Amino acid sequence: MADTTAAYATPSPTETREPVLYSTDLVAGYIPGVNILNGCNISAYAGELIGIIGPNGAGKSTFLKAVFGQVKIRSGSIHLKGDDITGLKADKLVSKGVGMVPQNNNVFPTLSIEENLEMGMFQAPKLFSERFEFVTTIFPELAKRRKQRAGSLSGGERQMVAMGRALMMDPSVLLLDEPSAGLSPVRQDETFLRVHQINRAGVSVIMVEQNARRCLQICDRAYVLDQGKDAYTGTGRELLRDPKVTELYLGTLAADVDADTKARADSAAGTTTGTATGTAGVAPV
Amino acid sequence: MPLMYRRASPVVTTIAATVASMIMGIMLAVLMGLSPASAATSPSPEPSPSGDFTSTFTIGGLIRDGDTPIEGVEVQVEGDGFDEVGVTGEDGRWTVPVPGPGAYTATLLPDTLPEGIVPRDPENITRDVTLGTTNTVNVLFPTGEGTVVENNIADTILTRFIYGLNFGLLLALGAIGISLIYGTTKLNNFAHGEMVTFGAVIFFFFGTVIGLPLYVSIPIALALSAFTGYAQDAWLHKPLRRRGVGLVQAMIVTIGLSILARYVILFFLGGNIYTIDTGLTATIDIGPATITVASLVSMGVSILMLILVGLFLTRTRIGKATRAVSDNASLAAASGINVDRIIRIVWILAATLTGLSGILYGVFRQVNWSMGFQILLLLFAAVTLGGLGSAFGALVGALIIGVVTEVSTVWIPNDLRYAVALIILILVLLVRPQGVLGRKERVG
Repeated sequence: MADTTAAYATPSPTETREPVLYSTDLVAGYIPGVNILNGCNISAYAGELIGIIGPNGAGKSTFLKAVFGQVKIRSGSIHLKGDDITGLKADKLVSKGVGMVPQNNNVFPTLSIEENLEMGMFQAPKLFSERFEFVTTIFPELAKRRKQRAGSLSGGERQMVAMGRALMMDPSVLLLDEPSAGLSPVRQDETFLRVHQINRAGVSVIMVEQNARRCLQICDRAYVLDQGKDAYTGTGRELLRDPKVTELYLGTLAADVDADTKARADSAAGTTTGTATGTAGVAPV
Repeated sequence: MPLMYRRASPVVTTIAATVASMIMGIMLAVLMGLSPASAATSPSPEPSPSGDFTSTFTIGGLIRDGDTPIEGVEVQVEGDGFDEVGVTGEDGRWTVPVPGPGAYTATLLPDTLPEGIVPRDPENITRDVTLGTTNTVNVLFPTGEGTVVENNIADTILTRFIYGLNFGLLLALGAIGISLIYGTTKLNNFAHGEMVTFGAVIFFFFGTVIGLPLYVSIPIALALSAFTGYAQDAWLHKPLRRRGVGLVQAMIVTIGLSILARYVILFFLGGNIYTIDTGLTATIDIGPATITVASLVSMGVSILMLILVGLFLTRTRIGKATRAVSDNASLAAASGINVDRIIRIVWILAATLTGLSGILYGVFRQVNWSMGFQILLLLFAAVTLGGLGSAFGALVGALIIGVVTEVSTVWIPNDLRYAVALIILILVLLVRPQGVLGRKERVG
């Protein structure tokens, strides 16, 4: 396990596997002259669950939007399975295998749950029943309430519909923008569990999270964004116990986290230290 | 001839007509509405010294049934001691020379009309005519085959209700067009009235002027209407969206386009009012109500089209995608829907439905250059009343507006009926701000 983790953290030059998605020196922004991303290098290998954390305004959501063609890319590139997908429009990206779940307004409120999922695979309507079955194994409650209007659902339920919708096209990479935002603690747990399940079903996931600790606990690898750059990277556990990351990005959050969660996080980090002796800590990029 | 509508008191009628005219903003109409009052102040007709009536001041008009002139109809012209009866000739024209400028009244004598022909508007067989700067004034008394000879108020209401349904259904076609465009693009399209006029004018041109059969002229009118939808999106609104033009700015552009289109139509069509001849003027009795075959066909076509639109929106992939774009355009794009393509389809569909609405409206009333502009506000009212952006709501709103405007004429002057529709709109919005079928969404 330690070897694999190390390979993920710093892909060696001899690594033959191509990342399923990677960005190279990505520069992007909304207003002319103001760059939000300043040379961002992020990659995700097949089957990985990638977390992106960082302070407010670091460019986390902007990174996802840039990948998904919703923010103008000024320089740099994004590749998906070897193809250059820089600046492609959303509908093209969906057909190429990128799925996106926005943070807000992520369902069609006047459409039923089933119709929401149908819209998710607008480009491949024939595969509906097959994909519907897959999605409802992860989200069984969606099948039970398929005729209900999505506008009548709670925030957590909407999140499930939104993730289900994005999964319908069988994406290679799923982009999640703060899936736990605005949810109750119980719902947050459930959401992280579902994200984990989706990832275990073989979908690479890139997840932006405000809830840094919880994110680091479940992800394979994570990036800490700061001022539009990937400041640190490593496995979730490495970052969790890295004093610098803790001080800079988790410190303020740690105060908010209740003692119990903190203890669990610490013990988890401790176990990693015990087993993964070979890991070299966090390497600033 | 018994009066079919209860008459409001003259004072109320005058005030009402004045208000309605001012709402319309037509100077001439204001003058007409005020004329009973102005009669007192305007110079009374001075009999010319010689007493001969070879003067050039005349009041006249044309009376016909559809396109057929009616001969032998009498019109009485009175004014300050002057009293003369004019009789229509072979060409349906009547002329009464009058002594000079002043206020007169012209009264159609309904008993002189041929059997089965009645004034379209029995309320209004007496007209106030003011001769001022012009020497000749034309007075129109529209007549037609027995549209009305009821004396029972319940029957009258039923007849008006059926006509209201017809009007509401054809309004619904146009209103759904507005609703679909608003839903998918959030644009208020003020050029929609001209899309109504366009359909009617094209149908009139190919069907009545050139004389092509219905099954040719209607498809031509619909195809050209569809093309206007395509053109508006492809050449105007898509480039505007691309450039990031705001919704208010885009709305102003549609107002400009509306004015341009209206005057281009005026240029080619002229300012006259034309009647579309569908050859379906036979009437059918439904219980105590009498209604033309054309109206029944019109209702049937409207209902069929509305059902098809409903099935399109709820059953087809493109239709569901249309609703998805209305709900959340950026999420629709994120789901892999080509939003521009959906919007293009919506424009074409909306223009076709609106063109059909214009054809039916032209048959229901008449064709003129500003017919669509006159019902534009009703279309917007229908869409708002039903719930903005909801196609089914637009249908409900249009039916309410259509029935209310028609039935209201049983009690109130014709000129005020559209105002009634807008009062209903205000009342409904005060009670249900989201419209009849609009929904308040759960926030999270």
